[in-house]
Amino acid sequence: MTLESVARKDFRDALRSRWLLGLTLFFALLIGGSAALFYGVLLSGAGANSETLFGLSTAPGGLFNFSYAGMLGFVLALIALVTAHGSLIDERESGTIKLLLSLPNSRRDVVFGKLVGRTLVVIISMLVGFVLALFAMLFTGGQVMFASYAGQVALSGLLATAFVSIGIWLSATSTSQRQALFGTVGLYFIFAVLWSTVATGVPRLVNWVVEQLGLTALTAPQVVQMRLFIKYLNPLRAYETLVAELYGPAVAARLFKAGLGERLAIQSTFQESLPFYFSGPFILAILLAWIVVPPLLGYRAFKKTDL
Amino acid sequence: MAAIELNGVTKRFEDDEGLLDSVRSSSDADAVTAVDDLSFSVAEGEVFGFLGPNGAGKSTTINMLLDFVRPTSGSVRVLGHDAQAESVAVRRRTGVLPEGYDVYDRLTGREHVEFAIESKEADDDPDELLSRVGLDPDEADRRAGGYSKGMSQRLALAMALAGSPDLLILDEPSSGLDPAGAREMRDIVRTEADRGATVFFSSHVLAQVEAVCDRVGIMRDGRLIAEDTIEGLRDRVDAEAVLRIDVDGDADLDAVRALDGVSSVETDGDGLVVGCTDDAKSRVIEAVEAGGATVADFETDSASLEDIFLAYTEGDDSADEPEVTA
Repeated sequence: MTLESVARKDFRDALRSRWLLGLTLFFALLIGGSAALFYGVLLSGAGANSETLFGLSTAPGGLFNFSYAGMLGFVLALIALVTAHGSLIDERESGTIKLLLSLPNSRRDVVFGKLVGRTLVVIISMLVGFVLALFAMLFTGGQVMFASYAGQVALSGLLATAFVSIGIWLSATSTSQRQALFGTVGLYFIFAVLWSTVATGVPRLVNWVVEQLGLTALTAPQVVQMRLFIKYLNPLRAYETLVAELYGPAVAARLFKAGLGERLAIQSTFQESLPFYFSGPFILAILLAWIVVPPLLGYRAFKKTDL
Repeated sequence: MAAIELNGVTKRFEDDEGLLDSVRSSSDADAVTAVDDLSFSVAEGEVFGFLGPNGAGKSTTINMLLDFVRPTSGSVRVLGHDAQAESVAVRRRTGVLPEGYDVYDRLTGREHVEFAIESKEADDDPDELLSRVGLDPDEADRRAGGYSKGMSQRLALAMALAGSPDLLILDEPSSGLDPAGAREMRDIVRTEADRGATVFFSSHVLAQVEAVCDRVGIMRDGRLIAEDTIEGLRDRVDAEAVLRIDVDGDADLDAVRALDGVSSVETDGDGLVVGCTDDAKSRVIEAVEAGGATVADFETDSASLEDIFLAYTEGDDSADEPEVTA
């Protein structure tokens, strides 16, 4: 199985480069460290449970709107993109890919072997962080909601995989390392910043066009639904709301971070029946699609390329 | 069955890669024809030397055998498989020393070879392969990032030899090697050929191939301009003479070139250097004198194989050709 040997070689390379070690230290400090700080210092003793930090509740004391999952999503996405963006183009620019493809490895094995190798690098380092956080909670007497916590770890793994997939696509379609680097910055900007602007802007644009045509404008609930639908096509947001659902009802998870006006406009409708395209399984399917589709597109482009 | 078979293969590189470039309109000027309607075949068990100056299209041809690059038109078959659709099947039975490759900086030499053995699902002993190419165990345990060009070349050859391939494709195998290394390389080629493997290797230096090749093909400007056995080339050498003429006045070069049996005419200071068959010599001198010049003196040499190669490959326009590598 050459996909496996490509993945193993890639993983070993990450080990040697100390990238894996660096990421592990980073996640140990970020997830493990923040949990130790939070449960050991800020909120020690009785009443502390894993939801207090990791759940969708706002920050300590509810003073400001902070979602741990949202923050972790941003970090994981960036780390995964950075880890994967050079996977193929670096080998093309240095020429090692010629050694790799001189052997009976197919281009498919190379693309998906890289996907497996890089995903393992991100997920293993991330897992170390989550395990340390678990110990931190247990040692400080915090109550761990194991099912939710495990679900959150699994979703974090899926999010990391999705962004490794996107990075692989980027690497497979780039024609230079510089292009892949700019692509990384650009894509991250799109997912982290621009997407929400578009999600807000599209319904407004639709309404403006509708008004110009003299038709009936979208109702307030329709505007909110459209915005939310676009919002949850973003893997970062899909991840965040799925994590929120681990700690509460689906409707609250979908309206997580929504403004008061939006809640008023849509909450009753959602409470009656949540449309299937806002259901947990559908949002999960979106997240999974981000894992499956980008590497397939990347492979299709890479297959046709002259090296 | 032929080990390698090319039929009317053309490769044009369109300079339209990259996001920005796709916006720009691409004109014909941006395209480079690296290989032009190339057809030839290499028989099983043969040692075939693929010669030509840099930029002649040798590496592009080899890259098409390995599916690194796809032909614009024509068909490429290797070991009975379609080189593009069944490339993995080709590479399973082929050992390759590619051009323009790099080793993995952080993997040791031995790990490279182990990776090759594993990929080919072979059961070779990595140490044996490494010692065959002259890398000692100390070197093999070092990371390949610190290897010299020659050591990298030896390492890549060890990877190529893994799995006792039916076909060896070696692109400029001697580059980066010192004369002793180049000789070891030739010994390995000979050993592999004796084992029954087909060997296809390229070089821009004739001396490296003439000792081991059954047959050579000479490429220039994307075309195969000669294809012959070494004996055939030697026969041509024997028939060929080099005539050096000291001339007073201007000789009519075109008239000399037009003569039967004349293969090349070049000026050398006041003199002329004419490559021709033995029996054409007197006709050449007559033609020079008929053109109004006076022959002050002349001497004849027999041509070496190298002269023939240079005559084929060193044209007037070869110096400013773009080097095409992919």
